[in-house]
Amino acid sequence: MSTATLSATLRSESGKGAARALRRAGSVPAVIYGHKREPMSLSIVTRELERLLERVAAGSTVVELSIDGKVSRTIIREIQKHPFKKQLVHVDFQELVAGEKITVSIPLIIVGTSVGVRSSGGVLDQTLRELEVSVDPSSIPNHIDVDVSALDVGDSVHVRDLTLPEGITVITDADASVVVVAAPKVNATDAAADAAAASAEPEVLRAKKLADDAK
Amino acid sequence: MLSPKRIKFRKMFKGRTTGVARRGNTVAFGHFGLQSLEPGWISNRQIEAARIAMTRFIKRGGKVWIRIFPDKPITKKPAETRMGKGKGSPEGWVAVVKPGRMLFELEGVTRETAERALALASAKLSVKTKFVVREEAHTDAGE
Repeated sequence: MSTATLSATLRSESGKGAARALRRAGSVPAVIYGHKREPMSLSIVTRELERLLERVAAGSTVVELSIDGKVSRTIIREIQKHPFKKQLVHVDFQELVAGEKITVSIPLIIVGTSVGVRSSGGVLDQTLRELEVSVDPSSIPNHIDVDVSALDVGDSVHVRDLTLPEGITVITDADASVVVVAAPKVNATDAAADAAAASAEPEVLRAKKLADDAK
Repeated sequence: MLSPKRIKFRKMFKGRTTGVARRGNTVAFGHFGLQSLEPGWISNRQIEAARIAMTRFIKRGGKVWIRIFPDKPITKKPAETRMGKGKGSPEGWVAVVKPGRMLFELEGVTRETAERALALASAKLSVKTKFVVREEAHTDAGE
Protein backbone atom coordinates (compact mmCIF):
# COMPACT_ATOMS: atom_id res chain seq x y z
CA MET A 1 0.00 0.00 0.00
CA SER A 2 1.21 3.48 -0.76
CA THR A 3 0.09 6.73 0.78
CA ALA A 4 0.25 10.31 -0.39
CA THR A 5 -0.73 13.68 1.05
CA LEU A 6 -2.78 16.43 -0.52
CA SER A 7 -4.33 19.63 0.75
CA ALA A 8 -7.79 20.90 -0.08
CA THR A 9 -10.01 23.80 0.89
CA LEU A 10 -13.74 23.84 1.51
CA ARG A 11 -15.85 25.24 -1.31
CA SER A 12 -19.17 26.94 -0.64
CA GLU A 13 -20.32 27.67 -4.20
CA SER A 14 -21.50 24.95 -6.53
CA GLY A 15 -22.86 24.73 -10.07
CA LYS A 16 -21.18 24.94 -13.47
CA GLY A 17 -20.54 28.70 -13.33
CA ALA A 18 -18.70 28.48 -10.02
CA ALA A 19 -16.89 25.31 -11.12
CA ARG A 20 -15.69 26.94 -14.34
CA ALA A 21 -14.51 30.04 -12.45
CA LEU A 22 -12.61 27.74 -10.09
CA ARG A 23 -10.92 25.93 -12.99
CA ARG A 24 -9.96 29.25 -14.59
CA ALA A 25 -8.37 30.24 -11.28
CA GLY A 26 -6.16 27.12 -11.33
CA SER A 27 -8.12 24.78 -9.07
CA VAL A 28 -10.16 21.62 -9.56
CA PRO A 29 -13.57 21.12 -7.95
CA ALA A 30 -13.72 18.00 -5.80
CA VAL A 31 -16.01 16.22 -3.37
CA ILE A 32 -15.43 14.02 -0.34
CA TYR A 33 -17.99 11.49 0.83
CA GLY A 34 -18.02 8.27 2.75
CA HIS A 35 -19.49 6.14 5.44
CA LYS A 36 -21.49 8.16 8.02
CA ARG A 37 -20.41 11.58 6.81
CA GLU A 38 -22.09 14.36 4.90
CA PRO A 39 -20.60 14.98 1.44
CA MET A 40 -18.46 18.13 1.34
CA SER A 41 -17.53 20.22 -1.70
CA LEU A 42 -13.81 20.93 -1.98
CA SER A 43 -11.33 22.65 -4.22
CA ILE A 44 -7.78 21.46 -4.91
CA VAL A 45 -4.91 23.31 -6.57
CA THR A 46 -4.63 21.74 -10.05
CA ARG A 47 -0.83 21.68 -10.12
CA GLU A 48 -0.61 19.81 -6.79
CA LEU A 49 -3.14 17.23 -7.93
CA GLU A 50 -1.38 16.72 -11.27
CA ARG A 51 1.94 16.18 -9.48
CA LEU A 52 0.31 13.59 -7.23
CA LEU A 53 -1.31 11.74 -10.13
CA GLU A 54 2.01 11.60 -12.00
CA ARG A 55 3.59 9.74 -9.06
CA VAL A 56 0.98 7.29 -7.79
CA ALA A 57 -1.70 4.87 -8.98
CA ALA A 58 -4.83 6.89 -8.23
CA GLY A 59 -7.19 3.98 -7.67
CA SER A 60 -5.08 2.09 -5.15
CA THR A 61 -3.33 4.83 -3.15
CA VAL A 62 -4.52 6.07 0.22
CA VAL A 63 -4.54 9.87 0.11
CA GLU A 64 -4.26 11.74 3.39
CA LEU A 65 -6.40 14.72 2.50
CA SER A 66 -5.92 17.80 4.62
CA ILE A 67 -9.12 19.87 4.51
CA ASP A 68 -8.41 23.26 6.07
CA GLY A 69 -5.99 21.56 8.49
CA LYS A 70 -8.12 18.52 9.36
CA VAL A 71 -6.69 15.27 7.93
CA SER A 72 -8.89 12.51 6.49
CA ARG A 73 -7.72 9.18 5.08
CA THR A 74 -9.32 8.87 1.65
CA ILE A 75 -9.09 7.07 -1.65
CA ILE A 76 -9.67 8.63 -5.08
CA ARG A 77 -12.92 7.17 -6.39
CA GLU A 78 -13.26 9.00 -9.69
CA ILE A 79 -11.26 11.40 -11.81
CA GLN A 80 -13.17 13.24 -14.53
CA LYS A 81 -11.08 14.53 -17.41
CA HIS A 82 -11.80 16.53 -20.54
CA PRO A 83 -12.35 14.15 -23.49
CA PHE A 84 -9.24 15.29 -25.38
CA LYS A 85 -7.52 18.13 -23.53
CA LYS A 86 -5.21 17.34 -20.65
CA GLN A 87 -7.53 19.03 -18.19
CA LEU A 88 -8.82 17.68 -14.89
CA VAL A 89 -12.52 18.46 -14.49
CA HIS A 90 -13.52 16.95 -11.13
CA VAL A 91 -12.26 14.51 -8.49
CA ASP A 92 -14.18 12.30 -6.02
CA PHE A 93 -12.61 11.24 -2.71
CA GLN A 94 -14.09 8.50 -0.52
CA GLU A 95 -13.24 8.62 3.18
CA LEU A 96 -11.87 5.37 4.57
CA VAL A 97 -13.04 3.87 7.85
CA ALA A 98 -10.57 1.70 9.79
CA GLY A 99 -11.54 -1.98 9.69
CA GLU A 100 -14.14 -1.52 6.97
CA LYS A 101 -13.34 -3.22 3.67
CA ILE A 102 -13.62 -1.23 0.45
CA THR A 103 -13.96 -2.18 -3.20
CA VAL A 104 -11.08 -0.99 -5.38
CA SER A 105 -9.73 -1.69 -8.85
CA ILE A 106 -6.12 -2.87 -8.81
CA PRO A 107 -4.06 -2.51 -12.02
CA LEU A 108 -2.85 -5.78 -13.58
CA ILE A 109 0.74 -5.50 -14.80
CA ILE A 110 2.15 -7.86 -17.43
CA VAL A 111 5.52 -9.35 -16.46
CA GLY A 112 7.88 -11.04 -18.92
CA THR A 113 7.63 -11.81 -22.64
CA SER A 114 5.56 -14.80 -23.65
CA VAL A 115 7.05 -17.71 -25.60
CA GLY A 116 4.27 -17.42 -28.20
CA VAL A 117 5.12 -13.78 -28.95
CA ARG A 118 8.90 -14.31 -28.94
CA SER A 119 9.14 -17.44 -31.09
CA SER A 120 5.81 -17.87 -32.95
CA GLY A 121 4.93 -14.26 -33.74
CA GLY A 122 1.72 -14.32 -31.66
CA VAL A 123 0.02 -11.17 -30.38
CA LEU A 124 -0.38 -10.64 -26.64
CA ASP A 125 -3.90 -9.33 -26.04
CA GLN A 126 -4.63 -8.07 -22.53
CA THR A 127 -8.39 -8.26 -22.12
CA LEU A 128 -8.55 -7.29 -18.45
CA ARG A 129 -6.52 -4.31 -17.21
CA GLU A 130 -7.88 -3.95 -13.69
CA LEU A 131 -9.06 -6.41 -11.07
CA GLU A 132 -11.95 -5.44 -8.83
CA VAL A 133 -11.27 -6.58 -5.27
CA SER A 134 -12.60 -6.13 -1.77
CA VAL A 135 -9.76 -5.29 0.60
CA ASP A 136 -8.91 -3.63 3.89
CA PRO A 137 -7.72 -0.03 3.25
CA SER A 138 -4.47 -0.73 5.14
CA SER A 139 -3.40 -3.46 2.72
CA ILE A 140 -4.31 -2.24 -0.77
CA PRO A 141 -1.67 -3.58 -3.21
CA ASN A 142 -0.26 -1.09 -5.75
CA HIS A 143 -0.59 -3.61 -8.56
CA ILE A 144 -0.92 -7.32 -9.28
CA ASP A 145 1.68 -8.95 -11.52
CA VAL A 146 0.62 -11.31 -14.31
CA ASP A 147 3.49 -13.57 -15.42
CA VAL A 148 3.07 -14.36 -19.13
CA SER A 149 6.52 -15.82 -19.88
CA ALA A 150 5.22 -19.42 -20.17
CA LEU A 151 2.30 -18.62 -22.50
CA ASP A 152 2.35 -20.05 -26.02
CA VAL A 153 0.03 -19.19 -28.93
CA GLY A 154 -3.55 -20.05 -27.91
CA ASP A 155 -2.81 -20.00 -24.17
CA SER A 156 -4.49 -17.62 -21.76
CA VAL A 157 -4.42 -16.55 -18.12
CA HIS A 158 -7.69 -16.32 -16.20
CA VAL A 159 -8.53 -14.46 -12.99
CA ARG A 160 -8.48 -17.76 -11.06
CA ASP A 161 -4.84 -18.32 -12.13
CA LEU A 162 -3.57 -15.07 -10.58
CA THR A 163 -1.32 -15.08 -7.53
CA LEU A 164 -2.91 -12.67 -5.09
CA PRO A 165 -1.62 -11.19 -1.82
CA GLU A 166 -3.23 -12.22 1.50
CA GLY A 167 -6.54 -10.67 2.60
CA ILE A 168 -7.93 -9.93 -0.84
CA THR A 169 -11.36 -11.07 -2.03
CA VAL A 170 -11.75 -10.95 -5.79
CA ILE A 171 -15.06 -9.55 -7.06
CA THR A 172 -14.32 -9.92 -10.78
CA ASP A 173 -15.57 -13.22 -12.29
CA ALA A 174 -12.97 -15.95 -11.69
CA ASP A 175 -13.46 -17.28 -15.24
CA ALA A 176 -12.73 -13.93 -16.90
CA SER A 177 -9.62 -14.02 -19.07
CA VAL A 178 -6.80 -11.58 -18.33
CA VAL A 179 -4.34 -12.21 -21.16
CA VAL A 180 -4.58 -14.21 -24.39
CA VAL A 181 -1.77 -14.95 -26.84
CA ALA A 182 -3.51 -14.91 -30.21
CA ALA A 183 -2.15 -16.29 -33.50
CA PRO A 184 -1.01 -13.61 -35.96
CA LYS A 185 -3.85 -12.57 -38.27
CA VAL A 186 -3.50 -12.78 -42.06
CA ASN A 187 -4.81 -9.53 -43.51
CA ALA A 188 -5.56 -10.73 -47.07
CA THR A 189 -8.49 -12.96 -46.10
CA ASP A 190 -9.84 -10.22 -43.89
CA ALA A 191 -9.89 -7.71 -46.77
CA ALA A 192 -11.57 -10.20 -49.13
CA ALA A 193 -14.35 -10.86 -46.62
CA ASP A 194 -14.88 -7.12 -46.17
CA ALA A 195 -15.06 -6.57 -49.94
CA ALA A 196 -17.71 -9.29 -50.27
CA ALA A 197 -19.75 -7.73 -47.47
CA ALA A 198 -19.55 -4.26 -49.02
CA SER A 199 -21.12 -5.33 -52.31
CA ALA A 200 -24.38 -6.32 -50.61
CA GLU A 201 -27.06 -3.62 -50.26
CA PRO A 202 -28.44 -3.30 -46.72
CA GLU A 203 -31.90 -4.66 -46.05
CA VAL A 204 -34.43 -1.87 -45.33
CA LEU A 205 -36.58 -2.98 -42.40
CA ARG A 206 -39.26 -0.36 -43.03
CA ALA A 207 -39.70 -1.38 -46.68
CA LYS A 208 -40.22 -4.97 -45.57
CA LYS A 209 -42.85 -3.87 -43.06
CA LEU A 210 -44.69 -1.77 -45.67
CA ALA A 211 -44.71 -4.74 -48.05
CA ASP A 212 -46.17 -6.92 -45.29
CA ASP A 213 -48.85 -4.30 -44.55
CA ALA A 214 -49.81 -4.11 -48.24
CA LYS A 215 -50.49 -7.86 -48.40
CA MET B 1 -15.75 -1.79 -46.62
CA LEU B 2 -17.89 -1.30 -43.54
CA SER B 3 -21.62 -0.74 -43.98
CA PRO B 4 -24.76 -1.69 -42.04
CA LYS B 5 -26.41 -5.04 -42.80
CA ARG B 6 -29.94 -3.88 -42.02
CA ILE B 7 -31.33 -0.36 -41.80
CA LYS B 8 -34.65 1.12 -40.77
CA PHE B 9 -34.71 3.96 -43.32
CA ARG B 10 -32.79 4.40 -46.61
CA LYS B 11 -32.14 8.13 -46.22
CA MET B 12 -31.27 10.28 -43.25
CA PHE B 13 -31.29 14.00 -42.40
CA LYS B 14 -27.94 15.76 -42.47
CA GLY B 15 -27.96 16.62 -38.75
CA ARG B 16 -25.61 18.90 -36.82
CA THR B 17 -22.45 17.84 -35.02
CA THR B 18 -22.09 19.80 -31.81
CA GLY B 19 -20.29 19.17 -28.54
CA VAL B 20 -17.60 16.63 -27.74
CA ALA B 21 -17.55 12.83 -27.63
CA ARG B 22 -18.88 11.82 -24.22
CA ARG B 23 -18.45 8.12 -24.95
CA GLY B 24 -15.78 6.20 -26.85
CA ASN B 25 -13.17 8.82 -25.97
CA THR B 26 -10.61 6.62 -24.19
CA VAL B 27 -8.16 3.93 -25.28
CA ALA B 28 -10.28 0.94 -24.32
CA PHE B 29 -8.89 -2.12 -26.14
CA GLY B 30 -5.33 -1.53 -27.37
CA HIS B 31 -2.36 0.39 -26.05
CA PHE B 32 -2.15 3.21 -28.60
CA GLY B 33 -4.94 5.20 -30.22
CA LEU B 34 -5.83 7.85 -32.77
CA GLN B 35 -8.19 10.46 -31.35
CA SER B 36 -10.24 12.96 -33.33
CA LEU B 37 -9.75 16.64 -32.49
CA GLU B 38 -12.57 18.10 -34.58
CA PRO B 39 -16.07 17.12 -35.67
CA GLY B 40 -16.74 15.63 -39.08
CA TRP B 41 -17.98 12.77 -41.21
CA ILE B 42 -15.63 9.88 -41.95
CA SER B 43 -16.67 7.72 -44.89
CA ASN B 44 -16.36 3.94 -45.05
CA ARG B 45 -13.82 4.41 -47.88
CA GLN B 46 -11.65 6.59 -45.62
CA ILE B 47 -11.91 4.05 -42.80
CA GLU B 48 -10.91 1.25 -45.18
CA ALA B 49 -8.01 3.28 -46.63
CA ALA B 50 -6.77 4.06 -43.11
CA ARG B 51 -7.06 0.41 -42.05
CA ILE B 52 -5.11 -0.78 -45.09
CA ALA B 53 -2.40 1.88 -44.56
CA MET B 54 -2.01 0.77 -40.93
CA THR B 55 -2.02 -2.98 -41.48
CA ARG B 56 0.42 -2.73 -44.41
CA PHE B 57 2.82 -0.73 -42.29
CA ILE B 58 2.74 -2.97 -39.23
CA LYS B 59 2.91 -6.06 -41.56
CA ARG B 60 2.45 -8.96 -39.18
CA GLY B 61 1.94 -8.95 -35.45
CA GLY B 62 -0.08 -6.28 -33.81
CA LYS B 63 -3.83 -5.90 -33.60
CA VAL B 64 -6.03 -3.10 -34.92
CA TRP B 65 -9.39 -1.98 -33.57
CA ILE B 66 -11.73 0.28 -35.55
CA ARG B 67 -13.76 2.22 -32.98
CA ILE B 68 -16.13 3.96 -35.40
CA PHE B 69 -18.81 2.53 -37.67
CA PRO B 70 -20.26 4.24 -40.77
CA ASP B 71 -23.99 3.90 -40.06
CA LYS B 72 -25.25 7.15 -41.65
CA PRO B 73 -26.36 6.96 -45.31
CA ILE B 74 -25.26 9.83 -47.57
CA THR B 75 -27.30 10.72 -50.62
CA LYS B 76 -26.22 12.43 -53.81
CA LYS B 77 -28.11 13.93 -56.73
CA PRO B 78 -27.01 12.83 -60.22
CA ALA B 79 -24.77 15.20 -62.21
CA GLU B 80 -26.42 17.96 -64.29
CA THR B 81 -29.74 17.62 -62.49
CA ARG B 82 -31.89 20.63 -61.64
CA MET B 83 -32.64 21.27 -57.99
CA GLY B 84 -35.80 19.84 -56.48
CA LYS B 85 -37.58 16.61 -57.46
CA GLY B 86 -36.81 15.05 -54.13
CA LYS B 87 -33.75 13.90 -52.24
CA GLY B 88 -30.99 12.10 -54.14
CA SER B 89 -30.23 8.40 -53.96
CA PRO B 90 -27.98 6.82 -51.29
CA GLU B 91 -24.36 6.86 -52.44
CA GLY B 92 -22.32 5.91 -49.39
CA TRP B 93 -21.95 5.61 -45.65
CA VAL B 94 -20.28 7.83 -43.07
CA ALA B 95 -19.49 7.73 -39.36
CA VAL B 96 -20.35 10.92 -37.47
CA VAL B 97 -17.33 11.88 -35.38
CA LYS B 98 -17.14 14.39 -32.55
CA PRO B 99 -13.94 15.84 -31.03
CA GLY B 100 -12.40 13.36 -28.61
CA ARG B 101 -13.69 10.26 -30.36
CA MET B 102 -11.18 7.39 -30.47
CA LEU B 103 -11.02 6.35 -34.12
CA PHE B 104 -8.50 3.49 -34.17
CA GLU B 105 -6.55 1.52 -31.59
CA LEU B 106 -3.40 -0.57 -31.90
CA GLU B 107 -1.70 -3.19 -29.75
CA GLY B 108 1.26 -5.54 -30.05
CA VAL B 109 3.63 -3.04 -31.73
CA THR B 110 6.29 -0.65 -30.47
CA ARG B 111 5.49 3.00 -29.82
CA GLU B 112 7.50 4.13 -32.87
CA THR B 113 5.68 1.69 -35.17
CA ALA B 114 2.30 2.69 -33.72
CA GLU B 115 3.06 6.40 -34.15
CA ARG B 116 4.04 5.96 -37.79
CA ALA B 117 1.17 3.58 -38.60
CA LEU B 118 -1.41 5.91 -37.05
CA ALA B 119 0.14 8.92 -38.85
CA LEU B 120 -0.39 7.07 -42.15
CA ALA B 121 -3.97 6.33 -41.11
CA SER B 122 -4.51 9.95 -40.09
CA ALA B 123 -3.46 11.11 -43.56
CA LYS B 124 -6.47 9.25 -45.02
CA LEU B 125 -8.99 10.99 -42.76
CA SER B 126 -10.83 14.29 -43.06
CA VAL B 127 -10.47 15.32 -39.40
CA LYS B 128 -7.49 16.51 -37.36
CA THR B 129 -6.27 13.80 -35.02
CA LYS B 130 -3.75 13.15 -32.28
CA PHE B 131 -1.79 10.09 -31.21
CA VAL B 132 -2.62 8.93 -27.69
CA VAL B 133 -1.21 6.28 -25.38
CA ARG B 134 -3.21 4.37 -22.78
CA GLU B 135 -2.75 5.86 -19.33
CA GLU B 136 -0.34 3.47 -17.68
CA ALA B 137 -0.92 2.21 -14.18
CA HIS B 138 1.79 3.53 -11.87
CA THR B 139 3.72 0.81 -10.15
CA ASP B 140 5.93 2.93 -7.92
CA ALA B 141 5.19 3.52 -4.27
CA GLY B 142 4.01 6.94 -3.16
CA GLU B 143 5.53 8.98 -0.40
